[in-house]
Amino acid sequence: MILFFLTSGLFLGWSLGANDASHIFGSAVGSKMVTFRKAAIIASVFFILGAVIQGSGTSQTLGKLGAVNAIGGSFTVALAAAITIYMMTKFALPISTTQAIVGAIIGWNFFTGNRTDSKTLSTIVAAWIAGPVIGAVFSIALYILFKKFKRSVRIHLIRFESYIKTGLVVVGAFGAYSLGANNIANVMGVFIPAFNLQDLNLWIITLNSNQQLFLLGGLAISTGIITYSWKVMDTIGSNILELSSEAALVVVLAQSLVLFIFSSTGLSDFIVSIGLPRIPMVPVSSSQVIVGCILGIGLYKGVRNINFKVLGEIGLAWLISPVASGLLTFFLLFFMKNIFNINVGSNTGEQIAAAEQITNTMNYSQAYASSIIKYFLLGIFIFGTIGIAYYLLLTRKKKMGLQKSEEKFWMNMK
Amino acid sequence: MPVFTRTTKNLILKIDEFFDNIDLGLLVFKEAIKAFLDKDMEAFNRHLQKVDSLENNADRLQRSIENEMITHSILPQHRAEVSTLIDELDEIIDALKSSLNEICIEMPDIPSSLNKNFISLSETSVSAAEELIPAARAYFKAPYTVREKLLKVYYFESETDKISFNMKRIIFQEMKELDLAHKAHLRYIIHHVENISDLAQKAADLLSGMAIKIVM
Repeated sequence: MILFFLTSGLFLGWSLGANDASHIFGSAVGSKMVTFRKAAIIASVFFILGAVIQGSGTSQTLGKLGAVNAIGGSFTVALAAAITIYMMTKFALPISTTQAIVGAIIGWNFFTGNRTDSKTLSTIVAAWIAGPVIGAVFSIALYILFKKFKRSVRIHLIRFESYIKTGLVVVGAFGAYSLGANNIANVMGVFIPAFNLQDLNLWIITLNSNQQLFLLGGLAISTGIITYSWKVMDTIGSNILELSSEAALVVVLAQSLVLFIFSSTGLSDFIVSIGLPRIPMVPVSSSQVIVGCILGIGLYKGVRNINFKVLGEIGLAWLISPVASGLLTFFLLFFMKNIFNINVGSNTGEQIAAAEQITNTMNYSQAYASSIIKYFLLGIFIFGTIGIAYYLLLTRKKKMGLQKSEEKFWMNMK
Repeated sequence: MPVFTRTTKNLILKIDEFFDNIDLGLLVFKEAIKAFLDKDMEAFNRHLQKVDSLENNADRLQRSIENEMITHSILPQHRAEVSTLIDELDEIIDALKSSLNEICIEMPDIPSSLNKNFISLSETSVSAAEELIPAARAYFKAPYTVREKLLKVYYFESETDKISFNMKRIIFQEMKELDLAHKAHLRYIIHHVENISDLAQKAADLLSGMAIKIVM
C-alpha cells in the first residue's frame, strides 16, 4: 500500500523529467549540438546524483509552506501537480513543476484549514521573479564575453564547435545536478513528513529515508527524460529563438549558475561569511530561468528574432499551472476524503496525533518497502549495464560498417 | 566527445588538404595552358594527368568530409552550408579538368597573336579562384576577414569578363581570315576558361553570406 501511495510522486517525477530536462539540454538538443540520446543519459545520471546527494536543502522550504502530514494527502497533492504538468506537457508548453507543486500545497492548506506561511510564499515568489531576471543578466554578460573571446582567439571553427559541444555536455551535467538538487523537493518533498523508511545499505553508501525517496524520485525523473522530454526540448531549443551553438552554451551555463545559486548551501554560507544576506534555498522555476536566459540573448541580438507567440503561451502557462494545480488538489482531496474515506491530512493542531497514527500503522510496510527498493535498484543496475554495453557495441559496429562501405566505394572507383 | 577523439583533427586536416588540392589544381591549370600555347604537348599531358589525379582526390575528400560531418554530428548548424561550399569548390576543379580535357580532345587552333591574351585570360580567371581559397580558409579561422578577402575574387572576375569580351571582339571583328566555325570554337574555349572565374564568384557569394551568418 505504501508503494501505491508513492506512485503519484513517481508520476510527478516522470512529468518533471519529461518537462524540466528540456531546460538543461533543450538548447543543446534544439541547436543539434548534442544528440537527444546523449543528453538524456547525462541528464538522467546527474539528476539522480544531485537529488540524492544534495536534495534535502530545498525540501525544508516547501515543508515550511505546508507540511502535508498524511500519506493520503501527499499522494493527492503530488497527483494533482503531476496531472497539471502532464496536461501542459501534452500541449508542448514548458511549465514549472515548482509552481504546480506550490499551487497544490496551497490547495492542501486551504482544504485542511492550515495557514499558508506568507513569508515562505513571498520568498518563493520572489525567487520566481529573480530567477529569470538573473538568468537574463548572466546570459547577456556571458554572451558578450564569449563573443569577445571568440574574436580574440584564432581557433578553427570545427575545433571551436567541438569545444562548445564538450562544454554543453559538461555544463549540462552541472545543470542537471543542480536542477536535481533544487527540484527533487517538488517531487518528493510532500512525502517526507509522512514517510520514515529504514536505512538502506547499498554496500558502498547507506541511504537514509529521505535519500531513498529522492533516489526513487530521481529514477522516475530519468524515466520521464528518456521517454517523453524530446517534444519539450524541441520547443525550448528551436521555437522561441533560433540559437547558435555558442548561444546554446551560454544559455545552459547561465541557467546552471542561477540554479546553483539557489541550491548551494556552501555558496549561501560563504555569502553570509562575507557579510551579505543569505541566499534562500528555494526550488527555482527552471522554466522561468531558461526563458529569461533565452530572452536575454534575444534582447542582445535584437528583439526581431524572438517568437513572441511562444513566449506568450509560456507566460499563460505560468499563470494557469499554480491555479489549476491548486483547484485540482482541492477537488481531489475532497473526493479522497469523502468518497474513498482516506485520511488526507489535518490541521496543524491535530498533526502530532495523525503522525503517531501513521508511524504505528506503517512500520512493517516501510521495512518491506526498503528491501523492495534494494532489489529494484540492483535490477536497474544490471539492466542498465547490459543496455550501455549493447549500445556501445552497436555504435561501434555501425561506425565500422560505414568506414568499410566508404573504403569499398573508393576501391571500386579506382 | 569530439574533443577527446581524433575526429576533429582529422576533419580539419581533410578540409585543409581539400583546399590544397584546389589551389594546386589552379597552378597546374595555368601551367597546362602555357604548355599548350607553347605546343609542348608532353608537358600539357603531364599537367592534365596531375589535374585529373587532384580532382579525384578532391572528390574523395569531399565525400569523406561530408560523411564525417554527418556521422559525428560536427557543425550541425553550418554543415549544409559548408557542404555546399565544398561542393562549389569541387565544381571549380571539375571545371579545370573538363576544360583541359576538351582542349586535349579538340586541340583548338589558337592564333599566335592571341597567345598573350589567352595567357592573360587564364591567369586572371584562375586568380579569381586562387583568391577564393584563402577566403574559404579564413571562414574557418577568422570569419571577420572573409569579406575583405573576397573583394579580390570579385575584382578578378570582372577583369576576366573584360579580357574575355575583348578577345571575343578581336576574334569576331578583327580576325577576318578565320572562318565562322573556327571563331565559334575559340569562343567556346574562351567561355570554358572564363567559367572558372564565374564559378569562383558563385562560391564567393555563398561564402560571403556564410561569413555574415557566423559573425553575427
